[in-house]
Amino acid sequence: MSDTDKDKLTDHEYDGIKELDNPLPGWWLATFYITIVFSIVYYAYYELGSGPSLDQELQTKLEKIEEKQNQAEMKQPDPGNVDYSQLLADNEALATGKDIYMQKCAACHGAQNQGVIGPNLTDNYWLNGKGTIADIAHVIVVGVPENGMPPWKGMIKDEDIPKVAAYIKSKVGSSPAGAKAPQGELIEE
Amino acid sequence: MTASQEKVKVQYDDQIVRMFFHATLFWAFAAFTAGVWIAFELAVWQLNLNTEWLTFGRLRPLHTNAAIFAFAGNAIFAGIYHSSQRLLKTRMFSDMLSKIHFWGWQLIILAAAITLPLGFTQSKEYAELEWPIDIAVTLIWVIFAINFFGTLARRREKHMYVAIWFYIATIVTVAVLYIVNNIALPTSIAHSYPVYAGIQDALVQWWYGHNAVAFFLTTPFLGLMYYYVPKAANRPVYSYRLSIIHFWALIFIYIWAGPHHLLYTALPDWAQTLGMIFSIMLWAPSWGGMINGLLTLRGAWHLLRTDPVIKFMVAALTFYGMATFEGPLLSIKSVSALGHYTDWIVGHVHAGTLGWNGFLIFAMIYYLVPKLWKTELYSKKLATTHFWIGLLGTLLYYISMVVAGITQGGMWRAVNEQGQLVYPDFVETVTRIVPLYYVRGIGGALYLIGFLLLLYNVYKSISMATEKPTDEVAEVINTNVKSEDIGTGHRKLEGMATAFTVLTLIAILVGSVIEIIPTLSLHKYVRNDVQVEPWTPLELAGRDIYVREGCYTCHSQMIRKMPSEVLRYGPASTIEESMYNRPFQWGSKRTGPDLARVGGKYPVTWHYRHMINPREIVKDSIMPNYPWLATEKIDYYALRKKLSIMKYLGVPYDDDTVANADLVAGRQAQEIADGLIEFGAPEEVRNKEIIALISYLQALGQKGGLSEEDKEGGSE
Ligand code: HEC
Ligand code: HEC
Repeated sequence: MSDTDKDKLTDHEYDGIKELDNPLPGWWLATFYITIVFSIVYYAYYELGSGPSLDQELQTKLEKIEEKQNQAEMKQPDPGNVDYSQLLADNEALATGKDIYMQKCAACHGAQNQGVIGPNLTDNYWLNGKGTIADIAHVIVVGVPENGMPPWKGMIKDEDIPKVAAYIKSKVGSSPAGAKAPQGELIEE
Repeated sequence: MTASQEKVKVQYDDQIVRMFFHATLFWAFAAFTAGVWIAFELAVWQLNLNTEWLTFGRLRPLHTNAAIFAFAGNAIFAGIYHSSQRLLKTRMFSDMLSKIHFWGWQLIILAAAITLPLGFTQSKEYAELEWPIDIAVTLIWVIFAINFFGTLARRREKHMYVAIWFYIATIVTVAVLYIVNNIALPTSIAHSYPVYAGIQDALVQWWYGHNAVAFFLTTPFLGLMYYYVPKAANRPVYSYRLSIIHFWALIFIYIWAGPHHLLYTALPDWAQTLGMIFSIMLWAPSWGGMINGLLTLRGAWHLLRTDPVIKFMVAALTFYGMATFEGPLLSIKSVSALGHYTDWIVGHVHAGTLGWNGFLIFAMIYYLVPKLWKTELYSKKLATTHFWIGLLGTLLYYISMVVAGITQGGMWRAVNEQGQLVYPDFVETVTRIVPLYYVRGIGGALYLIGFLLLLYNVYKSISMATEKPTDEVAEVINTNVKSEDIGTGHRKLEGMATAFTVLTLIAILVGSVIEIIPTLSLHKYVRNDVQVEPWTPLELAGRDIYVREGCYTCHSQMIRKMPSEVLRYGPASTIEESMYNRPFQWGSKRTGPDLARVGGKYPVTWHYRHMINPREIVKDSIMPNYPWLATEKIDYYALRKKLSIMKYLGVPYDDDTVANADLVAGRQAQEIADGLIEFGAPEEVRNKEIIALISYLQALGQKGGLSEEDKEGGSE
């Protein structure tokens, strides 16, 4: 034990343990005071003063996001005017479409699009729309929630949805084994 | 003074210390093994061997309870029994009570180890044990308290050393926390509903949960640190004044910090803000303990190179400092927004438990073995190897989880220029971090291997002992006599055990009362114009299955007030939505997505197939299969009792529904089963638990509780 330590020794002793009477470290005390002052100010501003509540903060942030969504929507071409037929010749697009289909859709529509919970997608019978790529894309986006088809907007990237639709279209007429009985209206092409 | 100078012989009860010591080693092995196992289950779900008893949801509570109450608990008792007798210069008050304490505690752990895998749980974290075991815990704790305070009354040392202060705070506060959080009404010998609902239950639970960390994993360990660090280093404690200030500041402030587990939730803002600011103010008081420990070792640094005990102590104190810096940081609202529900929190906890609690216990073990068995440590080198392997394991664990947490948290909240989620598909954020689950598992395995080295070392050390272990006899001078100068100010208080204990109790009650009492009048927070339907009998049965399976260990049911959450899951959760929920199921970890509004998102057949085998629907899912839900029958007969208790607790069921709960449930089950069978489920699915569970899942978010404005806050 150094001499300075000896000077600071208290007369306490417990089972051989002695205690020094060093002062509280200044930086430690300063930290403590700063956190206390910060806390008082913080509480006063948010809970007693004019600080926004969590609900208000959320509202403001949501409004900003909504604005972005609206702007993005305005920039998008009107889907009714786009010709998707070139996608049927785009192997890369079809492959991406197939990937997404296998991950997200096969559980309900079957790995061969033959239909399980959801309808058979390889026949010419359609419950929704007339089976064009744009129509299929539309069902994918909005879903038929009341009948068990989830809406996929936001879950699949906007630019990928036509690719999934094109993949489905490319399989129409493939007549896989065990296909589900037709549902909906027969659409002659 | 002459009379007091006479020496008295005291024989300490070291046998009880050795018993708790053995129990510590035994349960450490169980707790660590369970931990490593479930760590790998998150990477390879099949490790649950497709049995219900070993699924993640049931084993995780087993791991946490074993680590906290069995491993740390037995170590605390060993240390308290060993150090208190010496600090108070007297044998424990009653050998009989010591033995009852020991065996009672082991039986409780055994009961936990059996009931948790069987699915008997209250689902409140670190308070999962069902009510009969809770009563046993309370009784044994009272016995421990009588034994401890009896010893204190008979002490031969006028003043109480700082370690004793921390032990007092531990015993008093754990009693208050445990009893208040576990108040519940039984529906059977193995099941109960808490008296608190929704935000009350959440607040009380996290007041408890956070202070289990504070008063089970912090205060007793600081007490042990204050005894074993100066003993092992043979150095005086750095600052007596610092001990006083940081002790009182710590226990007074800690008790308020619980709501930092509930930031951005439906809990009223004022309570959240209190939780955050008290966590920030807790930083300095926590570091007070670390500084006092490390500066006590000042001048003994040369031992750091040679003595494994000192190595473990320095690392333990450093991890304590790290974790208590990170804690306040994570309590800042904006940091919590990123870290909460992710693996970052899991990493944070393990910096504390593996680094601080574990390493301090290992230091204590290596220090105690030679003393308790009058032998030498078999191999310092082996102990040093243990240190390095343990350190590497802890660092791998910590770093992998912090990286996983920040990665996943960042993916959840990423919103692009079009105002849409960048990673809308939840499972994408899971597959990204699965490699890190392997790294974490390896970290845990290394920690376990290090511990096996300790076991071997202890075994060899004990077998080297030449005589039978005995109780140490010491000659002490009794200073606890009237004539002794008691001192002034705090020094005087240190001589007054009862006054000290009462002041401690007051210090921890202030924050508790101010935070909890207002929310007990829940009606003040519930909006009158918002309607909520209670669960139907079948949904309630499903909810109890959800609790039993521990789905809350992977799923939250609380959409926070953050834009990315609203985009992903729908309008933020409200107070009203959980007002009938006993126990609340907000969860604390999202290994899977939030389920607060999953009702109606998918058809029933989706859920059926997903529960039987999630990978059939979501290829990369890491959720376990639950095939037994399709073979076990719904317990319709328990429902009448369950509903009547819910009604007694204030849930608005009409008498008819209560009286015919089983029939009402049966009818609803039939409808769901018809739907499933139509889509190819086997006829046997009728009246099976999976039907009840699906009815509950489909009702989530569909029971009202949103005002028109709340709905507009939604994603549409
Ligand atoms: C949970 C099961 C489920 C999933 C998953 C699912 N669907 Fe469907 N889907 C259905 C059901 C059920 C219908 C029938 C809706 C109706 O009755 O109008 C349907 C209908 C459709 C239709 C319209 C068929 C018609 O005849 O009008 C298309 C196209 C479609 N789904 C595509 C997809 C795509 C693409 C995916 C994956 C991104 C997908 N579905 C995922 C269940 C599902
Ligand atoms: C080991 C962690 C884990 C456990 C335990 C767990 N889940 Fe999951 N759960 C997941 C993961 C990961 C996902 C996301 C992938 C998927 O959909 O399978 C998920 C998805 C889900 C979904 C789909 C949510 C959505 O919005 O798509 C539901 C419903 C669900 N789980 C219910 C349960 C129920 C009920 C239990 C208890 C019986 C449970 N889970 C237990 C990890 C878990």
